Amino acid sequence: MDWGKLKFFLGEVARNFTRNAGMQITAIGTVAVTIVLLGAFLYVRAALAHLGSDVLNQIEISVYLKPDVSAAQTATLRTRLAQDERIRSVRYIPKSEGLRELRARMQGQIDTTILTENPLPDKMRVRVRRPEDVPFVAKNIRAMPGVATADYGQAVVARLLQLGAVARRVGIALIVMFVIIAGIIISNTIRLTVFARRREIAVMQLVGATNMYIRMPFICEGMLDGIVGALVAVGLLMLARGELLAKFNGYLPWLRLNATQADLSAIFLELLVAGAIVGIVSSWIAVGRYLRT
Amino acid sequence: MISLRGVTLVYPNGVRALDCVDLQIGKGDFVFLVGHSGTGKSSLLRLLYREVAPTAGHITVDGIRVDRLRRSRVPALRRHLGVVFQDFKLLTDKTVWENVAFALQVTGAHTNDIRRQVPRVLDLVGLSHKSRMYPNELSGGEQQRTAIARALVNNPKLLLCDEPSGNLDPTNTTEIMELLLRINLKGTTVVVATHNQAVVDRMRRRVVRLDNGRIVTDEERGFYFLGLGQAQVLSG
Repeated sequence: MDWGKLKFFLGEVARNFTRNAGMQITAIGTVAVTIVLLGAFLYVRAALAHLGSDVLNQIEISVYLKPDVSAAQTATLRTRLAQDERIRSVRYIPKSEGLRELRARMQGQIDTTILTENPLPDKMRVRVRRPEDVPFVAKNIRAMPGVATADYGQAVVARLLQLGAVARRVGIALIVMFVIIAGIIISNTIRLTVFARRREIAVMQLVGATNMYIRMPFICEGMLDGIVGALVAVGLLMLARGELLAKFNGYLPWLRLNATQADLSAIFLELLVAGAIVGIVSSWIAVGRYLRT
Repeated sequence: MISLRGVTLVYPNGVRALDCVDLQIGKGDFVFLVGHSGTGKSSLLRLLYREVAPTAGHITVDGIRVDRLRRSRVPALRRHLGVVFQDFKLLTDKTVWENVAFALQVTGAHTNDIRRQVPRVLDLVGLSHKSRMYPNELSGGEQQRTAIARALVNNPKLLLCDEPSGNLDPTNTTEIMELLLRINLKGTTVVVATHNQAVVDRMRRRVVRLDNGRIVTDEERGFYFLGLGQAQVLSG
């Protein structure tokens, strides 16, 4: 290893980096904003994925029986369901218990004493082992004798998925926009450095330095912009997670936004790589344009 | 060393800088290119180090077909030759030592080579004692000697000089020319574009005269002005 060579190279990069401090800070700031957006997006996506699987895991099929169903039919139905391997548990709720539950839930909201007779059907609550089996199991149950209908909140699930898709599209558009902006700003920063060093570049070309060699310090400078920006963004995201998440979950306790530690380090690594790539690509373009002319 | 056959250079703006030029320069030669400003001296040099490519014709430098050289091969050509300019093109924030070492550093030389080669060329141009000074602390002649040291540090076989004494007083000019002569005596081919009449007339070397992009005369031991040699012969 030729340490003198390395020292010279790092010296060149450091000189480039410190030459336009103001512009460098602008570039880093833009990258940071971009990466914060990207990070928030990735985080919310991960959290939503968790939430989604939580919701799906909690899905239960409500099986409503026909009003004229006999006790024997009910018993047969229960054993058939219990034998299905996809089903985890079956709970039978006769209409008297159903009414009690309803009364408890609606206490103070609706005056249930006005009910002169029990309008509820007998019901079974079916839990499925794997969420993706739910639609098939429900369809299966509907076809069984004595069953009026089987319901699992299709509309809610569909709405949730749709909302997620829209949010994703908006998020991606926003990120693409900011990546372009960050790229342009880094590229302009590098071009300023290139301009400040045009005499050195001319001498390098004159004495036979390869374009790759001339390019390298500038690429490193752009990469540094990207990585430092990403580090700033990761710091901000960590702060935001500590400060905001608790409050957020306080307001909306049913939406337990949370991602595991493993998810977080993966996201932060992705962000650093994203920052580095934006920096490398935009500086490559900036120097390439200069070297060609 | 250098061979031009039927070389024509037309710049994108339509200016015809060189028109069907033929020129042979042998290994170890010392050649002056003379002529008025804008007659194509600099253009001819720029073709040799491939700053521009000819519109037509063949150019060979040290066995390399320069007119067909791919862009990616240009650095390899430049490492075979040194170039010196009127304005020195030194880096003002680097010392003499660093300016010379720079040429080796950016071409990927090993640190040990740099430590060996830089003192050698600084000694050759007589600047060993000023290696820690910055260009603006030096005289014009010393700056040009630094530039020559930088051009020579790669051990090139060919040294191209574009008006090397253009910014220098007569004393410094003489010093620089003597240095170029010493370099030539060590075996390096030297091509000097100049319109310094005194230098050309004193040194009595091969003189290639350009006018309007064409070579008009090529004398083995010439003077700046055509015919002076014969006049002197007659008067002597």
